[in-house]
Amino acid sequence: MTVLIIGGAHQGKAALARALYPALPLAENLHLRVREALAAGRDPMALLDALRGHAVTCDEVGCGVVPIDRMDEAYREAVGRLCCALADEADAVVRVTAGIPQYIKGDKPCT
Amino acid sequence: MLILVTGGAASGKSAHAERLLCEAAPSSRLYLATMQPFGAAAQARIARHRALRRGKGFETVECPLGLQNLPLARRYDGILLEDLGNLLANEIFAPEGAGDAAFGSILAGIAHLQDCCETLVAVTDEIFSDGVGYPPETERYIRDLAALNRALAARAEAVYESVCGILLPLKGAKEP
Repeated sequence: MTVLIIGGAHQGKAALARALYPALPLAENLHLRVREALAAGRDPMALLDALRGHAVTCDEVGCGVVPIDRMDEAYREAVGRLCCALADEADAVVRVTAGIPQYIKGDKPCT
Repeated sequence: MLILVTGGAASGKSAHAERLLCEAAPSSRLYLATMQPFGAAAQARIARHRALRRGKGFETVECPLGLQNLPLARRYDGILLEDLGNLLANEIFAPEGAGDAAFGSILAGIAHLQDCCETLVAVTDEIFSDGVGYPPETERYIRDLAALNRALAARAEAVYESVCGILLPLKGAKEP
């Protein structure tokens, strides 16, 4: 199964991933991988294949003013589009605020 | 009926707004585009939105500002207004915009659109959570957009937030 865990920075996403989905390998900080891919001139959407079967954590980075810097804007856009694509495929999507999960897609895991 | 759809950048809100409008408005559909096609990023966004709408029977009218004075020749089943963030930026920052009167001007524009259709779906932006301080003119823009969102959400029948392409009901919405 594939799970996407999103939320603001430092909200306890990885800890929740470990607690809720202990059987799944954890892929942390997808937003940083997107930034690296862009910096290396690679298409961030190509990250999608390797994320299947993981619990993936990603910061929500799209809820601010449009950045002036073109790279920052492209980064924000790429994180958003990749998360939409991953969420579409994922069995579950969890949004974390202050360590508290909201199950916005799929069922709550039995733990 | 007024439906408000909000969300961060690239959160899938356009596609949901369009679907909600198509569900509510059986035939005559108007797409009101507020974005000015300046720069490569804006042009890419416009092209993406055009591709999304293709074949869905939308008439398209561009209206970067002055919504309350937009002449509409007929009544529509549904109007999709995309989006408030651009409209407000144009009203505040464009030389021919409403300037200090932007907030009232946009509310009057929304009322005008509601008079011209059965269902208005308005798309807006969540820009309030980056924790960054900005120059006064940008802060004013942020404050006005937040005020618009609050005013419209208060009078909307339904309000949604799109998160990673998942539509979350915030008010009065039937389950998507």
